[in-house]
Amino acid sequence: MANLKDIQRQIKSVSNTQKTTRAMKLVSTAKLRRAEELAKRSRLYAQKMNQVIAEIAGRIECSKVGGLENRCFHQIENPKIVDIVFVTADKGLCGGFNIQTIKAVNKLLKEYKAKDVKVRLRGIGKKGVEFYKYNEVEMYNAVIDLSSKPDKTRSDEFIQTSIEDYLDEKIDGLHIVYNGYKNMITQELHVDKVLPVDTDSFDCTKVQSQSMLEIEAEDEEKVLDSLVKKYVSYNMYYSLIDSVAAEHSARMQAMDTATNNAKEMVKSLNVQFNKARQAAITTELIEIISGVESMK
Amino acid sequence: MDKFKLEILTPDGVIYDDNAVGVVLPGEEGEFGVLAGHASLTTLLEAGVVDVEKEDKSVESIVINWGVAQVDEGKVVILVEGAAPIRGENESEIAKALDNAKKLINDIADSGNAIASVSAKIESAAQRLI
Repeated sequence: MANLKDIQRQIKSVSNTQKTTRAMKLVSTAKLRRAEELAKRSRLYAQKMNQVIAEIAGRIECSKVGGLENRCFHQIENPKIVDIVFVTADKGLCGGFNIQTIKAVNKLLKEYKAKDVKVRLRGIGKKGVEFYKYNEVEMYNAVIDLSSKPDKTRSDEFIQTSIEDYLDEKIDGLHIVYNGYKNMITQELHVDKVLPVDTDSFDCTKVQSQSMLEIEAEDEEKVLDSLVKKYVSYNMYYSLIDSVAAEHSARMQAMDTATNNAKEMVKSLNVQFNKARQAAITTELIEIISGVESMK
Repeated sequence: MDKFKLEILTPDGVIYDDNAVGVVLPGEEGEFGVLAGHASLTTLLEAGVVDVEKEDKSVESIVINWGVAQVDEGKVVILVEGAAPIRGENESEIAKALDNAKKLINDIADSGNAIASVSAKIESAAQRLI
């Protein structure tokens, strides 16, 4: 039977861990609330942005012979080289949050490898970057302190390379992989194809009924050129803030489970401790009684 | 007085969502004003000041660095990348808003002329409030 002191030490250590995990849960809850609020406010912008793009692009696509000139809207049949941007957290202790993203990236890498398409891997977030470094997978570039503090300027700078390379025909596609926020207890994995912009969703019949907009065709293209760049960089930014919200919700959950596990463990250790103590008392009593008996 | 619905959205949230009587926008080819019942149009906005005339006749200035305006009958939606509204209850708040607005304008590497004219407008907007 385990030593009384040993059990006592173990109980103390587990309850200390429990204190830490509980504190981490509370911190994550508070951070989640803020991140969630930001993501929610931002979602409105995303909706309007999509609407405006779909409207203008749809109108040009439907009215002009040959469709859109901007390369961002060309559906490229046989891509040769694509960019994959992934977003993971900078810190661990959030359950399967990071590994899910990594798995999705690996799946995508495999698919492209099978099709003989070159991939430029661009990583955001320490955990994912470390994973690929450890596995000696070549990365085009990596940023490690952006995912915990999403910043519009830095995210724009990061994605700018991909947008420019796409327009210069150096790459033929852009994917963003991240684990997004769904609700307090679930995260949703996103594998978004950002470039080329999906034109299937543009509805010609709907567009024509609203064709009263007064802009010149050249102007439309110009608006679109400018807009699509912002659209892509905004998508990048939104992935970052969505990912932060998801990270905190995943951590909150992981820490909640850890706290509960610690509680269970303290309980069973307490039972063990009491049993051991009782056994010690019984042994002592037997010793005394047998001592008394032998003196008679 | 006729009014229309005005929405100004940034990636960080909505900064204006209310009725307005008129709005002056810094269009790519020059400033233009929009009143209720304006014909539909979509256009790019450059760095500058958006002047919103509210229902109570007060004017609010919002500094933007890039944007797209979509004007529909009875509704104007403006998507901007960065915006700094010049508003505040007291002098210190206004001064802070002013600093933010100037920072936003200085961050875009544009010709000095544009910055100067926008800065002048910001100053006068702030003067109005104090």
